[in-house]
Amino acid sequence: MSDNTVTLEHISSLVKAPLEEQYVPGHRTCAGCGPALAYKLIAKAAGKNTIFIGPTGCMYVANTSYVCVPWTVPWMHAQITDGAAVASGIEAAYQAMIRKGKYKGDFPNIIVMGGDGGTADIGLQALSGSMYRNHDILVVSYDNESYANTGIQVSPMTPYGAATSFTPPGPKIPEAKKLWPKDLTALIYYGHPMVKYVANASIGYPVDLMNKVRKALNKKGASFVHVHTACPKGWRFEASRSIELAKLAIQTGMWINYEIDEGKKKLDHVPKEMKPVEEYLKVQGRFNHLRAEDVQKIQRFVDSKVAEARPVAARTV
Amino acid sequence: MKGEKKFLAGLAAVAEAARLADVDVISSFPIRPYTGLMVDLSQKVANGELDAEFVHAEGEHAQLAIVHGASASGARTMTGSSGVGVTYAFEVYSPISGGRCPVQMVIADRTLDPPGDFGSEHTDVLGARDQGWILGWAETPQEAFDNTLIYYRLGEDQRVSLPQFNCQDGYFVSHIPGEVVIPEKSQVEEFLPPYKLAKPLDPLRPYGHGPQIYSDQGPTLQLQRAILMDNAKEIIPEILNDFNKIFGRKYDSYIENYNPNNANICLFINGAHAQTARFAIANLKKQGVNLALCKLRFVRPWATEEIAEALSQYKVVGVVETNNSFGISREAGVFTPEVAASLYNLPESKRPILISFMAGLGGEAIRLEDFYFMAKKLADTAARKKIEKEVYWIGFEEE
Repeated sequence: MSDNTVTLEHISSLVKAPLEEQYVPGHRTCAGCGPALAYKLIAKAAGKNTIFIGPTGCMYVANTSYVCVPWTVPWMHAQITDGAAVASGIEAAYQAMIRKGKYKGDFPNIIVMGGDGGTADIGLQALSGSMYRNHDILVVSYDNESYANTGIQVSPMTPYGAATSFTPPGPKIPEAKKLWPKDLTALIYYGHPMVKYVANASIGYPVDLMNKVRKALNKKGASFVHVHTACPKGWRFEASRSIELAKLAIQTGMWINYEIDEGKKKLDHVPKEMKPVEEYLKVQGRFNHLRAEDVQKIQRFVDSKVAEARPVAARTV
Repeated sequence: MKGEKKFLAGLAAVAEAARLADVDVISSFPIRPYTGLMVDLSQKVANGELDAEFVHAEGEHAQLAIVHGASASGARTMTGSSGVGVTYAFEVYSPISGGRCPVQMVIADRTLDPPGDFGSEHTDVLGARDQGWILGWAETPQEAFDNTLIYYRLGEDQRVSLPQFNCQDGYFVSHIPGEVVIPEKSQVEEFLPPYKLAKPLDPLRPYGHGPQIYSDQGPTLQLQRAILMDNAKEIIPEILNDFNKIFGRKYDSYIENYNPNNANICLFINGAHAQTARFAIANLKKQGVNLALCKLRFVRPWATEEIAEALSQYKVVGVVETNNSFGISREAGVFTPEVAASLYNLPESKRPILISFMAGLGGEAIRLEDFYFMAKKLADTAARKKIEKEVYWIGFEEE
């Protein structure tokens, strides 16, 4: 792999983060948009020497309109199906061009910003292919737990019991969505032996998110960061409460931040005492219809997820 | 003619051309019959004869996405497929051509499922003929070698900047060896300049590739895409002129007219079966029957005026269709309506009668006898000056 790489420093606090923005005003995302905030932080952490690949999703449609893109760095649209495959090609091109003397600059940070559909569902094949082949890229799944761009349809990341426009509650199906979400980070890590770094992060913890992005980019090879990005429109809560929601997800165990760095697993921001999931569910319109038994079912699922989130043996590959 | 003579099948010939073109990124996935191309290319990379990134894609869709990203970054790329592999990648064809990425995709045709059939039928890539790609067929391994270089030069020209389907019939060309003259590296360098994309993905010169538009901005963009194909048509003679000069060949630009003199009947054909047709024409000549052949070199861009002019001198033209388009006008293949449209504005006195022959479907060979049958139907129609039947299914007709 190319040696023309630049190492990104650890960011010790929010005030030490770079002032320079690479994701700038000029887009049409909703007030309180979690994915837009994640984009801003990831672009800031990655810096100028970066190429973004944007598979179709909210962060394509709401960010771009003709001759107007909110990035100071190169960005390329990809199909919702193939973001990680396009990134694989960009990486292969830079490997070849630098080796053959056809490009004189540094090897770029190549980052796919895929939604949960573009990574866990229709884009999963491309994602798995790129991780298996160990391209020197970072794939970010900005997870707002639905196909939000098309009007909030169910995705594999939609929580059990959430109402979406394809899983409405009704007398026959009172709990709305009846399936449990995929564990995408585990799927990527345990299914792809070449991957050295994966992490779960959240917009509620911006410094941690930026440092995870930098760690991932500093690895030579494929890495994956899964970011929980609250969505006021899809989850039905007030736009001013996105950060509060993000933190509440962590405090109730509905989202667990961690990283696996070359086999070493580290849990982040896990509280000593978990709050009941009901505190997270009751502030979101998408869970309004839930019965007490549905809430209990979700609580049991979350309890077992928290219990199994323990360190794993180091990987030797 | 400078160079080294080798005995190569069509796919091996393309691999040699890719080596001389110094391709940077290759993406592969196995499907018969095109697989041989990637077998050869991977060996060249393993041997150090070709310095390229060889990416094992997880399917044809990813194959195309990989070369899309690589080409947008400024790398010269090659990929390929056959049959249902060509259709699996369909989504990505328009984004690649609309993104002005001059990817080259090598096609060895295969019949679409069902059922599984390895034989060559042109329906696979003809389904993608409207996606903004340069498209044409080679008749021989030599032409497959030459087209590889010609297509890169044409597609990478900044007046065009479009991807190319570099096609050859499965087995008939892809697997049957023929004599191929491999030119010297210096000749290739003289003909094919290094690939330079106008606006690559480069952090040193940032551009956004492919933002959303509003519908009222659509017509302009679509017109621009159409103009690129017109530009391609305009510069093909210039490029072939250069090619013929540097490599000592004699290619016509859009179509090749064979035995046109003293013939009032003509076959319009595409791909490998033109070889057998030439033998049939030579044999018929001995019997005093003059049959001409008009072979397409490019399907996209379609050379309307040149085709009309070439065919206007005949009384009857028979389109050989090695493809299916179920429910199409006249129940023929896709070429018949395009040829008819090309002839429509000719004065009636110059407009030939048009009939069609469905032949070689499913990869069946078109035999000499089949061409004699076609010649007879053409001659009968010419004598009658009236169409008897519009479409003949070869092998299913009464003599």
